[in-house]
Amino acid sequence: MTTLLTFFIKESIMRPMKRLFIFVFCLLGLVIFLWQAGDGEKTTTQAIFRMNLTAEPPTLDWSLATDNVSIRVIENLMEGLASYDEALRPQPAIAEGWDISPDGRVYTFYLRGDVFWSDGKQVTAHDFEYAWKRLLNPETASEYAYFLYDIKNAAAYNAGKIKDASLVGVKALDDRTLRVDLKKQAVYFPSITTFTATFPQRKDLIERFGDRWTSPENLVVSGPFLLAEWRHEYRLRLVANERYYGGRPALDEVIFYVVSEETTALTLYETGDLDRVSLPPIAIPQFKTHPDYVHAPFLRGYYYGFNLQIPPFDQVKIRRAFSMAIDRTEIPKILKGGEIPATSWIPEGMFAHNAKIGLSFNPEKARRLLADSGYENGVGLPPITLAFNSDPTNQLIAENIQAQWKKNLGVTILLDNLEWKVYLQRLREETPQIFRLGWGADYPDPDNFMNLFTSTSGNNYTHWANATYDQLISDAASEGDPKKRLRDYNRAQRILTESDVPIMPLFFAAQNLLISPDIEGLKVNAMDFIHLKKVRRRDVNREDAKKVKP
Amino acid sequence: MQSIFVLRFRRDPLAVLSLIVIVVLLLISVFGDLITPYAHDLQNADKSLLAPSAEHWMGTDLLGRDLFSRLIYGTRISMAVSLLTGFSALLLGTCYGAISGYVGGRLDNLMMRGVDVLYAIPDLLLIILITVVIGRGITGVFLALSLVGWITVARLIRGEVLRLKENAYVEAARAFGVKDMRILIKHILPNTLGVLIVTLTFRIPSAILAESTLSFIGLGLTPPAASWGSLANEGWKALKFYPHLIVFPSLAIFITMLAFNFLGDGLRDMLDPKQHKG
Repeated sequence: MTTLLTFFIKESIMRPMKRLFIFVFCLLGLVIFLWQAGDGEKTTTQAIFRMNLTAEPPTLDWSLATDNVSIRVIENLMEGLASYDEALRPQPAIAEGWDISPDGRVYTFYLRGDVFWSDGKQVTAHDFEYAWKRLLNPETASEYAYFLYDIKNAAAYNAGKIKDASLVGVKALDDRTLRVDLKKQAVYFPSITTFTATFPQRKDLIERFGDRWTSPENLVVSGPFLLAEWRHEYRLRLVANERYYGGRPALDEVIFYVVSEETTALTLYETGDLDRVSLPPIAIPQFKTHPDYVHAPFLRGYYYGFNLQIPPFDQVKIRRAFSMAIDRTEIPKILKGGEIPATSWIPEGMFAHNAKIGLSFNPEKARRLLADSGYENGVGLPPITLAFNSDPTNQLIAENIQAQWKKNLGVTILLDNLEWKVYLQRLREETPQIFRLGWGADYPDPDNFMNLFTSTSGNNYTHWANATYDQLISDAASEGDPKKRLRDYNRAQRILTESDVPIMPLFFAAQNLLISPDIEGLKVNAMDFIHLKKVRRRDVNREDAKKVKP
Repeated sequence: MQSIFVLRFRRDPLAVLSLIVIVVLLLISVFGDLITPYAHDLQNADKSLLAPSAEHWMGTDLLGRDLFSRLIYGTRISMAVSLLTGFSALLLGTCYGAISGYVGGRLDNLMMRGVDVLYAIPDLLLIILITVVIGRGITGVFLALSLVGWITVARLIRGEVLRLKENAYVEAARAFGVKDMRILIKHILPNTLGVLIVTLTFRIPSAILAESTLSFIGLGLTPPAASWGSLANEGWKALKFYPHLIVFPSLAIFITMLAFNFLGDGLRDMLDPKQHKG
């Protein structure tokens, strides 16, 4: 009986148990093996910084780049004559220093002798002369050409009125001396030389490779990082430049992933695959108490522009009505990131900011203006399309503004969203009736915001031209007396946002970020510069180095 | 005859329940305006992202729009698109399949190879291509889905016609000198009705799904219009923080799909002469 029982137990319980044990052990072994194998692949002791770009950079040619995605990459590959310190004051960079003539019209930049391109050649004053003349050359068709219009004959050369580039007031006196002749005083000129469009370029390489000079195998740079890889619509990989004159950066690599979906980027941050991410509106309330949360003001304006060449926005009354019909205080409630509603254009935190300027919300007056132009309640208006580049935030704002125009004016408008590159092309070639753009400061001076809408600005897509405005901006640029300067900017802002209204400012943005605690030295500034040369990873040099996935 | 169908149908409680759900959905899509507490595009920035409450049964979205109202409105769009595309695909597919099957021979071969070519292209790819060409909006979605949906129907009907045209009564009609067109319409097509109805009940949910997919990837309706798919698209981004935005649209899609599929199953059982259970 007992033997039968033991036999029974052995056969029916122990055997299967044993098998199960063996099976579980095997499985466990396999799991551990796979775990380690997987981990081994991903482990690296390199210091890598990873963040996302919201779109594929349209170009890496710094004469042609106008958008913040391209500029974000370029500003880590290159440097100019000057660069900003943390207080956003221009400090010598490739230039050791500069002299200004007593009348403020001649700048002489003295270049360092130890700055080299990644192919070993020295960076010379000739590279700057070439780059600046290339920027101004009408054949380059750069939208940032107007940045150098303070230089003697620059505007005329860019407009094709003079053909001889040697008349333009920029000249390399020798390899290390660059002389710049301005047509009049420009108080912010050193700031301009910090901007990507003024970075030096190599004549020999651009002539040899043509349009392909910016591809990773051809691109020669002189900044803290080198472009190692550009896999389109996926990622750009930058590696430290050993020859960088300011000393090799602490990071070994920088990877920019192209992730346009903000929530996807946020998930990647949470899984530890990105080190810095910008928060989408929907996530801000939840992350306000997160230890990695960083909130900072932003010198960035967001506006809707009108195309003055197409009805109905050729009529100023209609433009005013549309601007007046928007209650801008709704925007921060939706975006939730501490945005500042704006009716004027010079952002808060900048000289000459004046919140009192602009058309305030007044639906009755807006309706009256529309009726006065013969379109009572929008009846008889041609179909109106508002275009924006595909992005959840732009979409939200567009849907809100669409509803407000419907509610306050009775006008139904259509929305059209386009991919970033296509959108930029559309703005240039076939400007939509209403379009959305943002403007982030290239240098922290109101000139940068106001000069955008001069008739000669390549970034002015409204087709608006006002001689008085142009004159005011030009006067303010060379005005040394802050009081007079302020008066000029106030007048110009009134023309821009009250009387002519080619644009309707909507709000000044704010930065709502998550930055990994492993990252050190990533300073958040109001211009959203991400200069990675001083950034380091805390976790890589430690004993218990956290594994960083490339 | 009909009473047997009804009898058999009644024995399938799932199918009856599905039918009720579908009827309710149809009523909602026609009379939805009467029950929505708010307009579907009414925004209120002060009430952004509220959780479900007595005031807003399904909560609100980022722009402060009432989700329940939007879902009801979405029902109309989703049902309209799917019914219209279902019927037009059926019409197109039946004509094509019937001609191909009845005429036979070379024409049949030619027509069916055409269908094969279209069949080889993935549906979604074809739909995306068509919407890109036609443009966004409800017409684009409708045309794209109809132009894709008929292919399956054409194949089914052709097979059915091929089988039916060998029947003795067709031969008899032919012997009497009845014209081909008349034979096809009077004698063959009525017999495909069972297959047609079942196909329709399967076409509609796949059209709902296709419309949702299109709206989800951003090729569907233009805002502020909303369908279940576009609501789900807006909602998934908030999955982690405000799950109500994704749960309700998904539930609506889910329930409708189930109802149509169960109804289709029930109808097939009912109309299938080989499945006489009693």
